[in-house]
Order: sequence, then C-alpha cells, then structure tokens
Amino acid sequence: MSAIRRFLRVPEATAGAFILALLLAMALLAPLLFPGDPQAIAGAPLLPPFHDWSLPLGTDRLGRDVLAELFHGARTSLAVGLAAAAAALLIGAVVGTLAGFAGGLVDEVLMRVTDAFQTVPGFLLALAFVSVVGPSLGVVVAAIALGTWTGPARVARAEVLSIRERDYVAGARVIGMHPLEIAFREILPNALPPVLALSSVIVAAAILTEAALSFLGLGDPNRVTWGGMIAEGRTVLRTAPFLSIVPGIALVLTVLGVYLAGEGVVETTATRRGLS
Amino acid sequence: MNGPLLAVSGLSKHYRRAGKMVAAADDVAFDIQPGQTLALAGPSGSGKSTIARLVLRLIEPDAGNIRFEDADFLALGGAALRARRARLQMVFQDPLAAFNPRATVARVLDDPLRIHGIAERSERPRRIAALLERVGLPTELAQRAIHEISGGQRQRVAIARAIATKPSLIVLDEAVSALDVSVRGKILELLLDLQREEGIAYLFISHDLGVVRAIAHRVAILDGGRIAESGDARAVIDVPRSAIGKALVAAAPKLPAPARTAS
Repeated sequence: MSAIRRFLRVPEATAGAFILALLLAMALLAPLLFPGDPQAIAGAPLLPPFHDWSLPLGTDRLGRDVLAELFHGARTSLAVGLAAAAAALLIGAVVGTLAGFAGGLVDEVLMRVTDAFQTVPGFLLALAFVSVVGPSLGVVVAAIALGTWTGPARVARAEVLSIRERDYVAGARVIGMHPLEIAFREILPNALPPVLALSSVIVAAAILTEAALSFLGLGDPNRVTWGGMIAEGRTVLRTAPFLSIVPGIALVLTVLGVYLAGEGVVETTATRRGLS
Repeated sequence: MNGPLLAVSGLSKHYRRAGKMVAAADDVAFDIQPGQTLALAGPSGSGKSTIARLVLRLIEPDAGNIRFEDADFLALGGAALRARRARLQMVFQDPLAAFNPRATVARVLDDPLRIHGIAERSERPRRIAALLERVGLPTELAQRAIHEISGGQRQRVAIARAIATKPSLIVLDEAVSALDVSVRGKILELLLDLQREEGIAYLFISHDLGVVRAIAHRVAILDGGRIAESGDARAVIDVPRSAIGKALVAAAPKLPAPARTAS
C-alpha cells in the first residue's frame, strides 16, 4: 500500500499510470462501447472528425468508424506489447541464468548466440520472421520477442555472475541441492529486479515494432492495429491527414505512458533502496 | 569405521593473483577422528577458508587426497556427491549471507529434509519444529523470514540446517566470529552439546585462539597456506613453537596462556 503511495508521489509515475489506466480502460471497454466488428462499414467514407456525433472521429477511406478502430487497436497494441515483453523477459532470464550459472562452454555458446541475435537489427529479424512464417498475432509476438530477449539475457547473466559467488549459493550446494534447482530457485528470483527494470523499455519498443510491422502490411490482417490504421491513412494523407494523425497520437501517448510508468517504478525502488 | 573420519593429505590450491601464483593451500595434511574437533587457526589470508571450501568440494583442489568416511571424496561426482553431502555439512560466518534473502526459516530447514528424502512432506513440519527445539529456538519462528530474526537466532537456524541430515562432520567457517560476545558463548555451548549427544566431528575454522582453546581437541596453525604446527589444542596454544603460533598467541590480549603454564 505504501509502495503505491510512494509510486504516485513521483510526478512522471502519476502521469504514466494515468495514461496506462486510460489505455487499459479503452482496451477493456472496446467490445462494450463498440460491439460488433470494428472493421465493418459504419457510414460515408472519409467523414472528417467532429462533424457527425455518432461518429466523433469520422470515418476512413472505406467508411469505418475511426473511434471504434482506435479502441479495438488499443487491445492489439497492449496485448502484443505485453506478450512480447513477457516472452522476451522469460527467454532472456532463462538464457542469462543458465549462461551465468553454468559458466565455461555453456556460457560461451549461449553468449555467442546472444551476440548473433544482437548484431542483427531487431526489426529486420522480426520482418524476416513474419514474412517467412506468415502474419498472425502469435507470430508477431514471437517475432518481436526474438529481437528483444538479448538485453534481458545480458543483464540477467551479469546479475547471476555476482550472485553465484554468494554464501547462500554455496550453502545450497552444501545441502546437496541439484544445480538446476539452485539456478532457478535460489539465484533467478534474486537476479530478477534489474531485469524487470528493462520491461518498460521493452514493452514500448514492442508496441512500436508491432505498429511498424502493421504499417508495412505484416500485421495480423484480421485485427485492427494502430500501425495498420496509419498505413491505411497514408494513401489519403493530403486529403484526410487525421486518419494517420489520430492513431499516431495514440501510439505516441501509449509509448510515453509506458516509459513514464517504468521510470516511476525505477525511481520508487531506487528511493526505497536508498532509505534502507 | 576404522581410522579417521576425514583424512586430508597433500591438499594444494593455487591462485593466480597479479600474474603471480599464490598458494592458498600448500601440501596440507590433517586427520579428524569421529566426534572430535580440529581447529584450523591462522591470520587472515592464511588459507583457512580455502581449505574449508576444498574439503566441502565447493572448489576443486589442484592436487591432494580427501578421504571421508573411508571413501575417496574427490572421486565422487553428480548425484553420488550430492547424496554424500548429507554427511558433511557447513555453517558459514555471516548468518545473513548464508541464506537466500527471500527464504523463511521453515523453507531453509525444509530443503535438506526434502532433498535427501529424510521425511515425507506431511511429516516435515514436525521435523522442522523438532530441529528448532533442538537448537533452542521457539517453534513459532518457522514462519518468520530469515531477515526478520536476530543474528544469534540465524546462526542457530544455520546449525539446525546443518544437523538436519544427521552429518558426521560439520565445517564451521568462523561460525561464531560475527556474533555478539554474549551470544557466542551460548552458540559454543550448543555446539559442544551436539557433539556430546550426536558424536558429530567439527572442523572449526577460527582466528580467535580463545574460542579455539575452548572448543577444539586439536589445532593446526596455518601460515601462507601451509600448516606451521599442529597438535593438542591446549598444548599448542599454551606453548606455541612456530613463529606464527607465537605471534597469534601474543596478538590475543585476553589469553592467560603464560600465567596458566606458570601455575
């Protein structure tokens, strides 16, 4: 309880939490406020915003409700961002823990694989992966995770290397604990906090990557996404710029919100550590 | 069992430090009889802790033999080594660092019982309570987190964990050095008590000759990774022969050694 209060005392945390709460509400309320298919035609095409109050943000090239698309797009962005970040953190934490704890040849092999992934630009990797396997939500999540797990892996490994030398790890060996149990039950949970600090950056990057993939037409075609909306609007950018600007603003606000909230968490935990 | 419980010979371990090879243990040899206490004493950097860790196979020696319970301890590996570890336990110097910071007292004591299949899951709470009682702690302590209890209580929990698997030898690495003087005496009493009742042998690592004299049957004084002299604890401490032994005795102000020998 006091942790939340301390969190909210950091101004950027409050702003970030507010934006994220709004986004979450949008995502959760989308099927209630805009039931039915958001990709169905709702009115005349290219209706500008604030003209017809039944369609507040107007319609796109095909006459689809932009506000409904925006709400449903929030679901995709949030789902992909969180799922990809969770997958990246999980893979990274496991690989980093194994490399740091096992050492020797295992460490060398795992870290060279990590290097290999890190030298290829993450977006290029995602692009190649989606174009080979085909666009669907699961594939997009996997593609993004594929390019982002290396950061958490390196942080986890560095943390494990220092924890490995602690007495309690020696103590676990003395009582005859299996090395895998030592790695994943004794070491990994204590190595997690700095790895989790990366999560806000990864979520933000994942949301942007998903938008970029959709913009290039490699998103899940059965779902509305903000990137896809921007791409749609591009063809009529001169006559109806709002079609690209509206989802663009949503994207910027979301990434900003994630960053600010993440910053707030780091700030809160830092002060707590400073106090103790 | 015939012969010593633990027989160490020719044990060596070298480290490379700033390009030079430094001997942390150099041709070290000693025996421990069942139910006896051997103290390893020496100034810091003399290789006491290295030898403790070598005996426990926490680090591997460059050369040497370790026979434990009439078997080659260095030949064991994997599951066989983990199973044998039940008989050879350790208590660390810093009782806070020796436990996972997230652990509770119950979990710390549950681990050895589970790993070595000593008690069924349903029976373990009772065993944990019995262990806590054995080391003089209230059983309600089981639900507390490790960081919530005092240093002396933590060291008692560490001893409870060490005796959970019914070992024949416990390595005590400066086990009472970090404790309050008033707590130290009580912990030493507990250790002597356990030795009398369960016949556990101790390898007692300490720089404090006063404590060594109180608890050890025999002592080996280390200097630069080598054993400078060894023998009956009282005899060695009262009349040290090696230069390092004399220096250590002289450095311990409270020690009434010269007066004792005079009377």
